[in-house]
Amino acid sequence: MASKFWASSAANALKISCSGTKISAFPALSRCFSSVLDGLKYTKSHEWVKHEGSVATVGITDHAQGHLGEVVFVELPEKGVAVTQGEGFGAVESVKATSDVNCPISGEVIEVNTKLTETPGLINSSPYEDGWMIKVKPSSPLDLDSLLDASNYTKHCEEEDAAH
Amino acid sequence: MLEIEPWIWLILSCISGEQHCSELDHMFNFADKHLDSKNMTVRRALEVWKLGIVKYLDALKLQEKLLLDRKIGRVPDLVLSLQHPPTYTLGKRKTDHNLLIPESDLKSLGAELHYTERGGDITFHGPRQAILYPIFSLREIGFGARKYVEGLESVMIEVASMHGVKARPGDKGETGVWVGERKIGAIGVRISSGITSHGLAFNIDNDLSWYENIVPCGIEGKGVTSLRREVSGELPSDDVIHDQLIQCLARIFRFSDVQMKHDLPVLPIRGQC
Repeated sequence: MASKFWASSAANALKISCSGTKISAFPALSRCFSSVLDGLKYTKSHEWVKHEGSVATVGITDHAQGHLGEVVFVELPEKGVAVTQGEGFGAVESVKATSDVNCPISGEVIEVNTKLTETPGLINSSPYEDGWMIKVKPSSPLDLDSLLDASNYTKHCEEEDAAH
Repeated sequence: MLEIEPWIWLILSCISGEQHCSELDHMFNFADKHLDSKNMTVRRALEVWKLGIVKYLDALKLQEKLLLDRKIGRVPDLVLSLQHPPTYTLGKRKTDHNLLIPESDLKSLGAELHYTERGGDITFHGPRQAILYPIFSLREIGFGARKYVEGLESVMIEVASMHGVKARPGDKGETGVWVGERKIGAIGVRISSGITSHGLAFNIDNDLSWYENIVPCGIEGKGVTSLRREVSGELPSDDVIHDQLIQCLARIFRFSDVQMKHDLPVLPIRGQC
């Protein structure tokens, strides 16, 4: 475990993204080691969106899952439901706290990650891949323009954590 | 380089997951203070609304209104301090299999049942149980969800210790505050756009037989207790204990002052904001 810790800190120092490394025992240090992936767009409320043609995949970031702790329950919308940029589409529960999750873009839900019902911890272990939450058919591609790119999101996290 | 060694020792000794490691926390609080120089000089007052005994739904409607008000900055960080008449509540997971008697029986017992958006499992609220519902902006107080919940646990642990009771946070997956294998304080929180609602419930001297109708917090095989049960001497009034919880809340979440709000709204709240 100690070598995993030092490996991830070395990875971070070299700016290699370490996907979904769970470092939940070290709240103050974990903020230095949250991974942010290039190619995704981000919200200030710590959701990410991956736009691929007519499908956008949405989830919460490594920074978010680190601050939440172990996820024990995920509430997701039904397929076909309309979602609106900046508004809640579901919730994530950890340590007796349920946190609303906001949608980065507007559109229609075309798929939900049903694996999260059985294994909500995927959000902790793989926030950008297996822990995806919903897939959306975007109604307005311009929504993405108002979101943060990887480096702006990283800066936002640093500013937030510096104030803590 | 020498300074790093104690850190390595502490990290290695605290390495199992969500373990509550007080030395490590102490070190991080120390580190946080040094990083936190910007906020240290800012005086922030905690506004306290003392509401007496309030029906669950009335308190919920008030919290929903204050949540929106807090989001737009119309109110500061504040805490509701109150007690409820006999009420069972469920969290977002709707774990009603942990209610051991039919819902229809509850009314005849004089209790209400409510489904809520908070985290956590089934619990009971009643007279002589202190309730605090902080409506905080997590960003302003500088805490993430997990640290916030740990802070609420610390509030109850500190107040218990003021009365000579050694309480501890729960094991992994058992959020709350325990004396041995008996639960003295429960937590259930909702975070909406970074604003908290719901909060903590601390058993002062409530009738514990109400818990026999549920599996408290969904945790089988463990009991419940109250400050009264754990303390051999006199207890101060509930009002004093509420004040102690509020003072600890203010200190743990780094408020510089506590201010009682006057001109409290008349409940139930009618209309929308």
